[in-house]
Amino acid sequence: MTETKRPREPFAPWDRRALPGLFDVEETAKRVGHYKWVELKLFEALGGWVATVPELDIKMRLGTHCYHHAWHAELFDKRLPELREMKTDRLTVPPNDHMVAFIDAMTEPEGPTLTIEKLVGVYRVLIPHKIAAYTYHRNATSEITDMPTVRILDFILQDEFNDWREGEMLIQSMIESEEEIDRAMVHQTRLEKLMLAAGGIAGPGSIGDPYVDLPEEN
Amino acid sequence: MRKIFPAEELARDPRFIRQTNEQRLGDPRGARVAGGNSGDRLAKLTPELANGPDRARALMHGIFTGEIQALEGAGRTCWDFEVGEDVPLELKLDMARQCWDEARHCEISVALAEHMGTELGEFAENGLLYEAACNPDPVLRLTGVNRALEGLAIDVFNTMKEFGNLAGDPVLEFCEDWMLADEVTHVKMGSDWLRQLTANDKERLDKALEFQKVVDRLFSFNGFRGEDDDSPIQLTRRFRELAGFSDDEIDEIADMSREARVEAAG
Repeated sequence: MTETKRPREPFAPWDRRALPGLFDVEETAKRVGHYKWVELKLFEALGGWVATVPELDIKMRLGTHCYHHAWHAELFDKRLPELREMKTDRLTVPPNDHMVAFIDAMTEPEGPTLTIEKLVGVYRVLIPHKIAAYTYHRNATSEITDMPTVRILDFILQDEFNDWREGEMLIQSMIESEEEIDRAMVHQTRLEKLMLAAGGIAGPGSIGDPYVDLPEEN
Repeated sequence: MRKIFPAEELARDPRFIRQTNEQRLGDPRGARVAGGNSGDRLAKLTPELANGPDRARALMHGIFTGEIQALEGAGRTCWDFEVGEDVPLELKLDMARQCWDEARHCEISVALAEHMGTELGEFAENGLLYEAACNPDPVLRLTGVNRALEGLAIDVFNTMKEFGNLAGDPVLEFCEDWMLADEVTHVKMGSDWLRQLTANDKERLDKALEFQKVVDRLFSFNGFRGEDDDSPIQLTRRFRELAGFSDDEIDEIADMSREARVEAAG
């Protein structure tokens, strides 16, 4: 037996991580598959838009952000086999048809005068919803059994916050008139409605359910 | 958003001026003057040449617009093809990575152009690079862009790095060396994907290599890039080898440049 000063607990007093989490392996894999699908669609769109945007600084930012989301897709892709999904394509799917409709509407703007719409779809609608869903997952899953997902989400969230901030600043710098505010708001509202129908990036329950079920009164 | 975005619609602000290749090469300040093949018009790019600094400025502006188009081309490859049906996910991930690299190269080259005293839009742009990135076959697109054009970028960046060294400009030399490292990576991506996607398809491989030759020929600019001492842009064997080119392939590019030069002189 090795001599030590005194025996120590397996978990240090400041380590409050708990075993239980809200998601089992199957549910985690399903969610991760939806996340990967969304990241895939986002980096494809950002890449495609580069050629359509005349603003030089925005063109270069979209190219940079394109890679961030491709890297997120890659991280999720590598996580899937660790969650017993060897055919990763099987789970790389949208949560529902509403999410497909959302992505179709978000990627619809193409013309060189539609930069505001392109940015609003990504930075005022999709990325905030991603941050919400990833934060919920990160906080609700077991920090011991599912630590690999937590670690991935921590890296990704850091990117998301940075990209969201940068994108929001680009939008603010692009909006110079009341008409442009209206354009941004109209497009955001349209996309938010589609996202509402989808229930979030991973479908209903993307950020959990905060409501309490009350017993029916007789 | 459409698949396959036409070169003539590339979005630019009003400072950019689009020219055909012939028009651009006719610019007397350019890195290579069409029609001439002797004297300092086709001399190796050095600071001592009477028009060396202006040539270098023109070349840096050309690098900048080329980087924009390379960024746009890589971005379109992310969008134009479907994972599984057309290309593997990993190919698109590589292209997204290339987007980031090209975005940095845009930042570097526009800053270097300013550092060299050039204003944005001072020299014209032509859409030739992006046109190669519009090929509907992803294998041909990657071969044309990553092996031919990014291969040319290896040669250009190495030449500019040497120019920075000779001119006593450590900023230029430093930045070109970094960009050169990225370009070797991009060319290697092209070489790797070409091999992987045509492993069982000799016909597609031949078509892709033929397309690469077409693009290489288009960008040879009458022998502008070669191994001769007075070639403005020097063919860089060592870095091309690192990027997956065989000796035979490098010999072929050198021969092509020599032939183009003789043709232009004749």
